[in-house]
Amino acid sequence: MAVITTNLQDEALTETIANRVSNIPLLSHVASQLLAILGGSDHSMQDVVKIVETDISLTAQVLRVANSAAFYRGQDVTTVSNAILNLGEKMVTGVALGSCASRVFNSPLEGYESPSGELWNHSLRTAIASREIAAVTAVSVSTDIAFTAGLLHDIGKSIISEFLIDTADEMLSKCDNGLHDDFLAAEKEQIGTDHAMIGYKLACHWNLPEPISAVILNHHHPNDAEEEYKELVYIVHIGDILAMMGGTGTGIDTLFYKIDERYEEYISMQSDSIPQILLTVQEEFERTKTAVFSE
Amino acid sequence: MSVIYVGVGEYAVSKTPGDTIKTMALGSCVGVIFLMPKIRAVGLLHVALPDSSINHKRASEKPGMFADTGIPAIIKQIQKMGNNGKIIMKLAGGAAIMDPNNTFNIGKRNILAVRKILWQYKLGAQTEDLGDSISRTVSIEVNTGKVYLSSPGRGEWQL
Ligand SMILES: [Fe+2]
Ligand SMILES: [Fe+2]
Repeated sequence: MAVITTNLQDEALTETIANRVSNIPLLSHVASQLLAILGGSDHSMQDVVKIVETDISLTAQVLRVANSAAFYRGQDVTTVSNAILNLGEKMVTGVALGSCASRVFNSPLEGYESPSGELWNHSLRTAIASREIAAVTAVSVSTDIAFTAGLLHDIGKSIISEFLIDTADEMLSKCDNGLHDDFLAAEKEQIGTDHAMIGYKLACHWNLPEPISAVILNHHHPNDAEEEYKELVYIVHIGDILAMMGGTGTGIDTLFYKIDERYEEYISMQSDSIPQILLTVQEEFERTKTAVFSE
Repeated sequence: MSVIYVGVGEYAVSKTPGDTIKTMALGSCVGVIFLMPKIRAVGLLHVALPDSSINHKRASEKPGMFADTGIPAIIKQIQKMGNNGKIIMKLAGGAAIMDPNNTFNIGKRNILAVRKILWQYKLGAQTEDLGDSISRTVSIEVNTGKVYLSSPGRGEWQL
């Protein structure tokens, strides 16, 4: 029999946190449909158009973004299909998720000492970096799913954040003294679970496609992922790191993670291409951030 | 009296009393800090990458993005302000993910590039707060020439 070391209080806390997941509202029908078809490889643009057009407010928002200064191409966009041509499918998913999961993305992460909007910025930057890696390296993963998985990888933080309030001093001093391998381990010691595990629970609650759940669960320890999802998980692992290097993290945990060097087995990325990728990510991030959330 | 925000790849100088120049969350970027006590002016450059050769077009649009084009650009601005005294330099940032092989250590490459270019101007940093796995925010007060760093969960300290 296994030795039981966790005390009852820890178990109760872990259960309270897990219960929070079930109180998070489900994704809107449109958003989960979009995620489901983008999670599969076989779909046409018409499928995306049809889904978007069933939702009036999403249609309006997609048109607004397509006509914003950052994406305007000299001609007014008046149809969803032209908007999708202009923006790309992944941006449309981004707009859909941003509006219907705004409670998850836009609440401040108090436990991470991170103001409201930071989780969205970090998620968007990770999405763009992951898309860029999928685009410039020889991988079989589509840029769409890389983007979407990047957008969702840290959703668990929105739930565990409140349980980490007032723990920054203690956690950071342990991190600084080498007592934790990474911030995920610090979370685990503090509250009995971590943002990857709770994010995975939320992914199950939301019925997200399996490759995306695998990214959420394993993005800091990609080697633990199932073989068939490893390529995608490593892409987001690196995308997350590039986002943090660019200064867009989520507060106290920023950069306190380890890179898993085995990414080289899945992604052929020369180390001298990193500055170029960082530059593209920076430009795309600035362009997209204002287009989706201005006005 | 205002706060001047310096974005990624931007730079600013000021000698307006009461101004603060600030740049947020440096990550692997390096904040290059210039203090000109004689004319009571300060400057700040937010360098993202070591070398402009990867994109000359970008470098001409936004010289502050790269160490080799950003430092000459801000120094030109400082000379225009009429600085005839000594420049005190400070450096902050250049952080990294925990990476045993340093493949992703752009922070380190930024630091080396910044030092090399400063050396060409016979400038060297008087104080530095560089490296590790923390993201730093920099504020410089024109009135006092004091430089403050902060990081989430770690409060604020003087450089
Ligand atoms: Fe994470
Ligand atoms: Fe992340």
